[in-house]
Amino acid sequence: MDNQLQAEKKSVPFNRTHQAIEAERILRRIKDGFQDNPVAMDYFYDLYEQVYCKGESLHKDEKVIGTMCVQVPDELIYAAGGIPVRLCNGFYTDDQVGAEFMPAKSCSLVKATLGMLDKQSTLPFVDKVENIILPATCDQKRKAGSMISEMGYEVYNMEVPPVKESEEARLYWQRSVHNFAVSLKKITGQKITKASLKEALAKVAAAQKAYRTLHNLRKKAPSIFLGKDAFMVTNAYFFDKIENWTEAVNKLNAELEQRITEKITAAQRRAPRLLFTGSPAIFPNLKLPVLIEESGGVIVADETCSSSRMLYDMVAVDEYNTENMVASIADNYLKPCTCPIFTKNDDRKRKLINMAKDFAVDGVVYQAFSGCQVYQMEHSSIAKALKAEGAPMLFVESDYSPDDMGQLSTRIEAFIESLKAKRRRKR
Amino acid sequence: MRNKISNYLNNGDLKRFRFWLQLSLFIFFVYGGYIAINIGDSLPTFSCTYVDGKPGTCFLVPLQHRMVTTPEKLFSYAGTAILTGLFYFTLWFLVFNKAWCGYACPLGAVQDWITALRKKIGMPYATYSWGQFKLLKKIKYILLLLLIFIPMGIGSGIFSHDMGVPFCMICPARTILPIFSGDFSQLTIDFSSKTKMIMTSLGILITGIFLVGAFVKKRFFCFFCPMSALHYLLSKPAFLKLKKDGSKCTKCGDCYSVCDMQIKEIADNITDRNILQDDCIMCFKCVAACPEDGALEVDFMGQPIFEATVQGYIKRMEKANKNG
Repeated sequence: MDNQLQAEKKSVPFNRTHQAIEAERILRRIKDGFQDNPVAMDYFYDLYEQVYCKGESLHKDEKVIGTMCVQVPDELIYAAGGIPVRLCNGFYTDDQVGAEFMPAKSCSLVKATLGMLDKQSTLPFVDKVENIILPATCDQKRKAGSMISEMGYEVYNMEVPPVKESEEARLYWQRSVHNFAVSLKKITGQKITKASLKEALAKVAAAQKAYRTLHNLRKKAPSIFLGKDAFMVTNAYFFDKIENWTEAVNKLNAELEQRITEKITAAQRRAPRLLFTGSPAIFPNLKLPVLIEESGGVIVADETCSSSRMLYDMVAVDEYNTENMVASIADNYLKPCTCPIFTKNDDRKRKLINMAKDFAVDGVVYQAFSGCQVYQMEHSSIAKALKAEGAPMLFVESDYSPDDMGQLSTRIEAFIESLKAKRRRKR
Repeated sequence: MRNKISNYLNNGDLKRFRFWLQLSLFIFFVYGGYIAINIGDSLPTFSCTYVDGKPGTCFLVPLQHRMVTTPEKLFSYAGTAILTGLFYFTLWFLVFNKAWCGYACPLGAVQDWITALRKKIGMPYATYSWGQFKLLKKIKYILLLLLIFIPMGIGSGIFSHDMGVPFCMICPARTILPIFSGDFSQLTIDFSSKTKMIMTSLGILITGIFLVGAFVKKRFFCFFCPMSALHYLLSKPAFLKLKKDGSKCTKCGDCYSVCDMQIKEIADNITDRNILQDDCIMCFKCVAACPEDGALEVDFMGQPIFEATVQGYIKRMEKANKNG
């Protein structure tokens, strides 16, 4: 299998590989299937094309460090002279390759990531990745660690507490982050200094500021921006050069603000506004968001680890010395995290309810990958909490295979119709 | 118009505002008396009576003096005097609540300046562990009880009169603040009696601990301050309030990581609207560091005067990142 793929990789030009075709197909759908995409989105469409369809390197001669979860502090990697690249993968092609490592009913995301790493092609990381930072989050990621090191990567296991409310957890995580900061020197060969960490903080903060502006612009009704594009933007943060990304988002924000004054909207006035939560939508597995918006709904907000959970909460520092900065960063990556791996999910409920109100949503779509137990287990409690607030929720269990497209579109259309009917009744 | 004003305030640079207000009030509380200002002897802050140019007196001084009485007198005219003092104290306090600590207290300002010095050196600050925190925070209540009961003991003849104003004897404000008007006389040990010798030695010792403590720990002394304990007992009805809207809080912990007093509730408590804790000094650094619109706010008689906004947060953060 391995050799076969290697051979295929060599003989077939990149843009003819299965992956490139898979990427191309969804990219076309996202780009050409919708009218009036913001001009500033071209930066992102081109970026995906460059990386996923043409296989061009983004970070030549840089020390690229792979991260496996949202809990790895990007600031520390930048401060140590590395480039963090999130490896969480959305390719069905890789999902099939990864199937040999994991039980049949396991998470597509983990399988796809394993498949990608196994091929050593590490797309979109045509750039070489040797070191992978793996926080011990869910069972499947945790067990993936040893498989990844057997493939020949240097895996750094970051310990994450299973409970996040207690003082013990806070201190434990602070120590874990501190140890990581120290270990980074061995990985990149560059020590984190006060100046470099401060610079890294500013870099990430600028990106978060741009994201926060975009996030707030999406509150506008009728909607001026579609969710499928929002996922493309936040997903690009996984691998893009952070300065370029920030600049592109700022341009997009400016264009959207312009659109508000010109009264150009992205969706119909009566299009049901939806909040997306659960397992992350990662390129090219954007089938659910795209289906929703093709069916006349509009995703106005999202609560996933590929978007808001990754970029929303910003670090405040009281005193800019290395120790205090690292501690503040640590707190920020644990305390507000609404990952379902933690014992309690009160924060996630609160966040969703608050978002549903803030963004005036009509309903919530909850995606859980088949095999992602933690999201599946949380779904009924979330549905109950949202129902109490008057927000109906559609629970969708899905994976990366295109087989369920038919039944998904039927369910989504029905859900959107019911939301429309509810709106009419209200009026 | 109203919007403009609140935008201006919410985007304001709290750090700079606080620095200048603290400095001005420090000058007022140390030199105000020289221009014949006298605002009474029931002040809810360390306007130290041992300072030559004081414009008024810390309430703990008359409280300790008046408590030197017998129980019979306490329930007659002596009691009236105490209650009158307490009445004026409460009036002063109700207006500004614990902001007396964060903005007016001259000893608090001294500690903040020592902190600034440490910051310059680039030394990280110390913190208490959660266990130490819970244990040590009780000390201020014990000191408050002692500064009431020791004078009563003197009145009943249990303690010698040399124990008079016992808290002042160990208070670092007595030894440190007079220095600013060139008076070093409080930095001595009084050998006139055994009790006085012990009390003044203790005072010098605590001054030393204060200087070292304030250098390694932000607002070191405030944690033990009996004035702070007394404040908290009266803080519920005060006009100035620190409020939290838990539904808007993401528990990101930014407020907690800038808190000088290590108050965890500010980040973790999402149910109480009135979030003021006994250790709070109402410096409002938490509000300035909160990136959630309206999650934290400072109210005066129900009117929000300073509110957390993401816009203000970003402004301040970018500035701090440039200078900090």
